[in-house]
Amino acid sequence: MATVDIASGLPGRAPGAAAWWWRAWRDDNSAIAAALLAVVLALLVLPPIGYLVYGSLHTTLPNGAAGALTLDYFRTLLAEPQLARSALNSCIFAFGSAAVAITFGGVQAWIVERTNAPLKTFAVVGAFVSLAIPYILYVVAWLFILGPHGPLNDLARLVTGSQRPLLDVESMWGMILVEGLLWTPLAFLMLCSTFRAANAAFEEAAMTCGADTLTTVRQITLKLATPALLALALMVFIRGIEAFEVPALVGLSKRINVLTTEIYLSLKLQARPDLGRASAFAVVLLVAVSVLLYFYGRIARSASRYQTVTGKGFRPRQMDLGAGRWIAGAVVVINFVIVVVLPVLGLLWTALMPYNQGVSWRGFHLMTLANFRTALGSGGMIGAAENTLLLACATATVTVALAALTGWLVARRRRGAWLLDQLATMPLIFPGVVLAVAMMQIFLALPVPIYGTIWMLMIAFTVRYLPYGARYAFTGVLQIHRELEEAAVASGASPLRQWGAVVLPLIAPALAAGWLFIFLMATRDLSMPVLLSGPRSQVVAVQLFDLWTNGQGTELAAFGLLWTAVMTVLAVAAYVLAERAGISVQGD
Amino acid sequence: MRCRWHEPFRVAALIATSAFISSAAAAGLDAAVIAKAKQEGQVLFYTNLIVNQVVRPLAAGFEKAYGIKVEFIRADSQATILKVVNEFRAGKTQADVWNLSSGLDSLTDAGAIAKFKAPSADAYPPQYRDPNGTWVATNVYVNTPGYNTDLVPANVVPKTYQDLLDPRWKGKLVWKPNDISGATGFIGNILTAWGEQKGMDYLRKLAAQDINPVDASARAIVDRVIAGDFPIALQIFNHHTVISREKGAPVSWIAMEPTTLSLQIAGVTTGAPHPNAALLFVDYMISPEGQRIFQQVGYLPADPNVPAQVPALKPEGGHFKGNVLSPEALNAGLDHWTAVYKQLFH
Repeated sequence: MATVDIASGLPGRAPGAAAWWWRAWRDDNSAIAAALLAVVLALLVLPPIGYLVYGSLHTTLPNGAAGALTLDYFRTLLAEPQLARSALNSCIFAFGSAAVAITFGGVQAWIVERTNAPLKTFAVVGAFVSLAIPYILYVVAWLFILGPHGPLNDLARLVTGSQRPLLDVESMWGMILVEGLLWTPLAFLMLCSTFRAANAAFEEAAMTCGADTLTTVRQITLKLATPALLALALMVFIRGIEAFEVPALVGLSKRINVLTTEIYLSLKLQARPDLGRASAFAVVLLVAVSVLLYFYGRIARSASRYQTVTGKGFRPRQMDLGAGRWIAGAVVVINFVIVVVLPVLGLLWTALMPYNQGVSWRGFHLMTLANFRTALGSGGMIGAAENTLLLACATATVTVALAALTGWLVARRRRGAWLLDQLATMPLIFPGVVLAVAMMQIFLALPVPIYGTIWMLMIAFTVRYLPYGARYAFTGVLQIHRELEEAAVASGASPLRQWGAVVLPLIAPALAAGWLFIFLMATRDLSMPVLLSGPRSQVVAVQLFDLWTNGQGTELAAFGLLWTAVMTVLAVAAYVLAERAGISVQGD
Repeated sequence: MRCRWHEPFRVAALIATSAFISSAAAAGLDAAVIAKAKQEGQVLFYTNLIVNQVVRPLAAGFEKAYGIKVEFIRADSQATILKVVNEFRAGKTQADVWNLSSGLDSLTDAGAIAKFKAPSADAYPPQYRDPNGTWVATNVYVNTPGYNTDLVPANVVPKTYQDLLDPRWKGKLVWKPNDISGATGFIGNILTAWGEQKGMDYLRKLAAQDINPVDASARAIVDRVIAGDFPIALQIFNHHTVISREKGAPVSWIAMEPTTLSLQIAGVTTGAPHPNAALLFVDYMISPEGQRIFQQVGYLPADPNVPAQVPALKPEGGHFKGNVLSPEALNAGLDHWTAVYKQLFH
């Protein structure tokens, strides 16, 4: 034995080592793939995390360099006068938004995928349009619609005769509603792929046993979707805790403070850019998210209970709702009106006005196309639009490619799954500005000349959107029964071949939905391009933000609507292409 | 700022006229500098000015005059500082010319900005240029209250800071919590103009008015006032109200003395890749024809000899007192004013 040990260490035995590697690769090439993937993800994710932790523990010197080791950022975080109250508000806000997003998105996804309701296309188009509307505009539109001088309160005043506005959007429910609506398309697209893959056999069995539609949905459909629902809830919840724009725009004036408004306001209030506190907050969130992921992992471990796509005739059948299908169709249309028609009409009204004002008869006489002319005549748009589309396409493609393998390895709990899951989820907690500064310093230190180019932005975006891609792939895989892969093993397929030949085609719809989601999110990301764009890699979101800071609201609305129209056309085109290629984002 | 950028003809005409005089104005700069600048052929400009309103006209005017290409990146002051400082510290300075409205000391402390001598600055009053020669003002801002003319009848419009304490305005006032165009600037203006004791007495009374904090740009706050969500905004840019008023919006501004006068400042970076073109571009912006571009697009030129398009918007033309919050005053006071905001209003 000893001789073998010694011998194997000799350089002359290299062919033996190669053989060992070859055998290892043949036996379980997924382990090696996982190792390679872990290295790639670690290279993407760990440097910014290192920066984050380091930044939270060191003061910033006047010249911008890191100073002495300190715990002050964490101390001031804990000494926040109303820490408990803002933390509670944060939880209510995040939980509420997750509930709104999942309810709105889930009901629609169920109707679209599992029933024979009419008018389903509205739901899909609605999801695309609301993702295409620039983030700030979507919030502004809702503030207008629900605001004290918005159409709803005006109507209420007409009806009740009271002078006081009926709805007060600047409240916790207003914040929850707006944030929840922002995440509804994510929930819808993700749950569509989940519900589509749910095996109808269970539902039919329930119906045969005399259960009505509601009972079936409650007892079978929802229970089968538990892992996906939880994955989704977890993600929206984390984003809700981390969200800043909606609490700041909607809740600040009534002093409904959440953790982020407390922290980022301090950041904005100081003269010097000092990201220490924001970093410390992100580190605390990072730990909290790891704990949540641990518990989530325990649920996902028993995921085999939820696998419904088996070798025996998997294509699910739709439920016949009878006359109820018209009610379901009405729900889809009403939802479309809320998610798309109202904000778009609100924006259209604003865009047609010479100055900001509520809806009135007088306003109809003031209508003008001047704002649209301004928007169309603004310089630099073509270059920015090209950059934006290239960036969004590249980001979505790279992210989904990484996520497809990650999601499978994690869902199957293969070797290294825990590590991969952590790596792929951590970027969720990065405040955009902290990630951007980290990326800036990393690429300035690297000898590769990509600083300031679109490729640096693409790498930064890939890190940022990895968690979303991974969740889409993960929930897609969860429902595929292992027996399909086992059949492949029996036929002698290596693990990677099982993934490529069996799993990948089955999760293609989930991946396509993920691609579209990331594509649209990337086109409207603002926090990173602001810091990372060079003179030749400007994007549209930054130009929109210029108008938001210093243009009239009416011009911003016109500009935003034109961009929304372009993005919607592109998203629908991509969707149609996917359908033609047989990768259905929506069931039939 | 004033939106004239959708009128390309006007801007083109303006550039054509400015090209005539440019050779005369640049006479102050050494011919050797101009020759070297032309050799360098380009300049990279980091700014928080709005691209389509003023940066493009400036770049076009400069290119026309000297054949030197101007590339630019627009970001707010904090982001511009993060970029300049990090690039400088990595030894990879990209920007030639920097331009911002707050946070100068971060650049100074990092050593990221260089001294320069722009001859056109000689015509400027001392508070509009740095005695050490690291910055010069390109344009100024007047921050003061604005109001909805439908909701605030002419006979009750507050004229003085004392008038703002009238109980009728309780809960009716709005500002943004940060920035010079927000609570920080308002507090800074009061404390530097009136001194610590009198100023704090006043601010304590003002705090009882329950001012609404809105985290949006000063421009967006004007739009909220126009829509009728709030009758009075405390610290907006006066020219924004004029732009909207021209379109029929029920809004106006009050020259509440002293108004806050703050500066947009520019200079050259340390280790600028195109140092001569950088100097030439800074000088161009503050020269009479550069200043006329600011005027034409509705910004308030820093040069006292170049009036604003609506002359009443500048203290010289509108005959009101402006309290200049210089970059140094900002450096010295900002942390304190922020603390006062947190203590009294947050």
